[in-house]
Amino acid sequence: MKVTRRDLLIGSAGAVAGLALTPVPWKLLNDVSIWTQNFPWIPQPAYGPVETKYSACTLCESGCGIRVRMAEKFPVGVAGVRSHPLTKGALCPLAFAAHQLNWHPRRLREVRHAGRAASWAEAQAAFQKACGEGPIAIVDGRPGRAVSSVFEAFTRKHNGSYQAVLSAESQALAPYADWSGVPVASLGYDLENARTIVSFGAPVLDGWGTPGRFTQLWSERAAGAADPQLRLIQIEPSLSRSAARAWRWVRVREGIEAQLAAGLARVLLEERLVTQPGPMPRLSLAEAAAQTGLAPEAIRDLSHTMMENRPVVVIAADGNPAIAALNVLLGAVATPGGIVRKRGEVQPHVPDDPVPESIRAMLVDSTVPWEFAAQANAEVFRFAAWDGGGDRAGWLLPAPGFLEELTDVPTSPTSALPTYAVAQNLVALPIGVQSAAQFLVKIDPTMPAVEKVIHARCGEIFRSRQGSVYGEHPIAATKVDSAQHLEEQLRKGAVWMGEPPSPGKFRCELKEWPMENRVAPATSWATAWVPPVFPALATKLYQESNLREPPAERRG
Amino acid sequence: MSARYGFVIDLDRCTGCGACMMACAAENNVPPAPARATPRTGLTPMLVRKVSNGIEGTARREAFIPIACMHCGNETPCVGVCPQQAVEVDKATGIVMQMPQRCLGCRYCMTACPYHARYFNWWDPAWPVGMEKSLNPGVAVRMRGVVEKCNLCPARLHSAKEKAAAAGKKEIDPADYLPACAEACPTGAILFGNLADKNDPVFSAAHSSDAFRLLARLGTEPKVYYQSKQAWVKALAERDSDRATEAQHA
Repeated sequence: MKVTRRDLLIGSAGAVAGLALTPVPWKLLNDVSIWTQNFPWIPQPAYGPVETKYSACTLCESGCGIRVRMAEKFPVGVAGVRSHPLTKGALCPLAFAAHQLNWHPRRLREVRHAGRAASWAEAQAAFQKACGEGPIAIVDGRPGRAVSSVFEAFTRKHNGSYQAVLSAESQALAPYADWSGVPVASLGYDLENARTIVSFGAPVLDGWGTPGRFTQLWSERAAGAADPQLRLIQIEPSLSRSAARAWRWVRVREGIEAQLAAGLARVLLEERLVTQPGPMPRLSLAEAAAQTGLAPEAIRDLSHTMMENRPVVVIAADGNPAIAALNVLLGAVATPGGIVRKRGEVQPHVPDDPVPESIRAMLVDSTVPWEFAAQANAEVFRFAAWDGGGDRAGWLLPAPGFLEELTDVPTSPTSALPTYAVAQNLVALPIGVQSAAQFLVKIDPTMPAVEKVIHARCGEIFRSRQGSVYGEHPIAATKVDSAQHLEEQLRKGAVWMGEPPSPGKFRCELKEWPMENRVAPATSWATAWVPPVFPALATKLYQESNLREPPAERRG
Repeated sequence: MSARYGFVIDLDRCTGCGACMMACAAENNVPPAPARATPRTGLTPMLVRKVSNGIEGTARREAFIPIACMHCGNETPCVGVCPQQAVEVDKATGIVMQMPQRCLGCRYCMTACPYHARYFNWWDPAWPVGMEKSLNPGVAVRMRGVVEKCNLCPARLHSAKEKAAAAGKKEIDPADYLPACAEACPTGAILFGNLADKNDPVFSAAHSSDAFRLLARLGTEPKVYYQSKQAWVKALAERDSDRATEAQHA
């Protein structure tokens, strides 16, 4: 049989048509689809049982309750805890990708000295030598933790000073502490009972204080209402996130907070809008108006509006004493809905050690903001989980990252109720990484271990028999069997919360009106605490959308 | 009984924090952006847009609109144009499912979508070394060259179904299925539920006088509703998304 060209073409066409009727091409297409999804360079998620753990977030001092999904011993997801009494399930945007931070390209995994690789033994020897040669200082970014006790004990024994770097929220409470003698850590805002909140540039709806606490309060009592139950007045030069959502936005010139506070105080006193007398500001209303860029009538109107819906409390973005004085004048100190003193004796103690003029060495904890500038002549031992860039320290010491360290979480600075939580080390500590406390204990083995301090604090809380423990189900502290049981609950992610404050426990007296003006630090991020690095997924916020400004490039 | 899952988003409660975007990306293994990615080429299945009333000065007002796939219930535009049948409306849930395994990357669906809620995967998904250990085990990573969008966290739905099946139930417990964005919202602005269930809070919220849908005139019956008491915010609902973007950049 002769096969012609025509036969060949017919046969080929028939074969193609016939093949289409068989499952072969479809199977091939399916296989190719699956194959393309399994290219070796496409990352594959881990397989294995997923378990859920509860803990407290340690990214900042708010200590929000977190639910962590773990697979193959690694965290694969972070979410809020709805039963948490303070945060009620809310977290800041960064926390949702915090579990990725431990693999950040700028993660520190080796000791560096003057930009070159070094060893822990060398760092230890250098610090020991410095301790013997002159005064040292230890700088703590979150005072009141168990590790803070280790720092304090070390500095006392080794002729050093303990220094705390306070957050913007804590700094805003510092004037009340100066005037009343009550420690900053014992003060807080009773926002739940306030009906008007006047924010002088504080990002109250953008991460201020504990994310979730005020935003939820605002959401329930103010959002969208023309005459809300809770009035938020935002005083700010630009239309920030908080100003955009506020009941009223008062646009002022930048850096005139003290002048506006003085103008408001003058109206409150002259028109007898406040019951208690106070020192009259030196600035006249006309002068205040000229400096703030507002009309005198606008300042007068704002004063009246503040007093319409009481209790009213004023929140400053920093430690501006003039704004704090306004709260004293308004009677918003030591009263419900204002600045209150937390109840209980378990408050963290912040020592006020004098700073020596000359320091031989300075140990900076990883909780201290990266931008912190150490004393120029001191040899700096900087603990950090991530390298924020620039030449910040002589010694750069790799510290534990997210959920890699057992630590306790004392009360958030703005909270009116004392809280205590424990963040368990859910992830194994990488080789070559250690915390500042471990470093100090190696130098001086008589120092207390963090575990022991946490254990002692749980004992104190248990013996106080106050408050409740919020775990799977909230229970009164009086119903907890033992201190050990309490500690177990806290290590599993529960949080202890003390009793509500009782009013009138302290007094603030003003002899003269403070006129010091301090410009609020400009921040373009959700929290005043700026992390040395951002989670990789933060690109969603500032690069793949226009939602937020990109983080500023670091110097150096 | 078939469900119609959807959102009711209260725009008066949205502070534009971006927690929903971050939670969505982490839950669904959406990769971080390469250095050259822009808002036009990024992957944001949940995107919060900032809009304003266009007035300058103290009368200026701004709002934030979280935009995800609208899961259109009528003449779903992306379904009809897909040559690969890579988009299907699940009759049991009403979810418009994007199947990257079938997607050719032709991007007809992106053109057809009136809400610009679909994103093309321009780059190989990549995380810094070691970070793949932090990926959600319940979600496969999508390859370069396919279109992505919000599928209402299918891994969570599957998990809820598995839980119901293990308990011998046919229907899932509504409390077991909550997309990551709704769970993450710190103000409770994103309400999720079954729009076909009259007892579900989203049903009454979707039928309130303040509720509206974006580009309702197109008749695509989106299953994402919005709420606002602000007239200027409601007026934006009928503007096309390009003009909304103009407002965003204003």
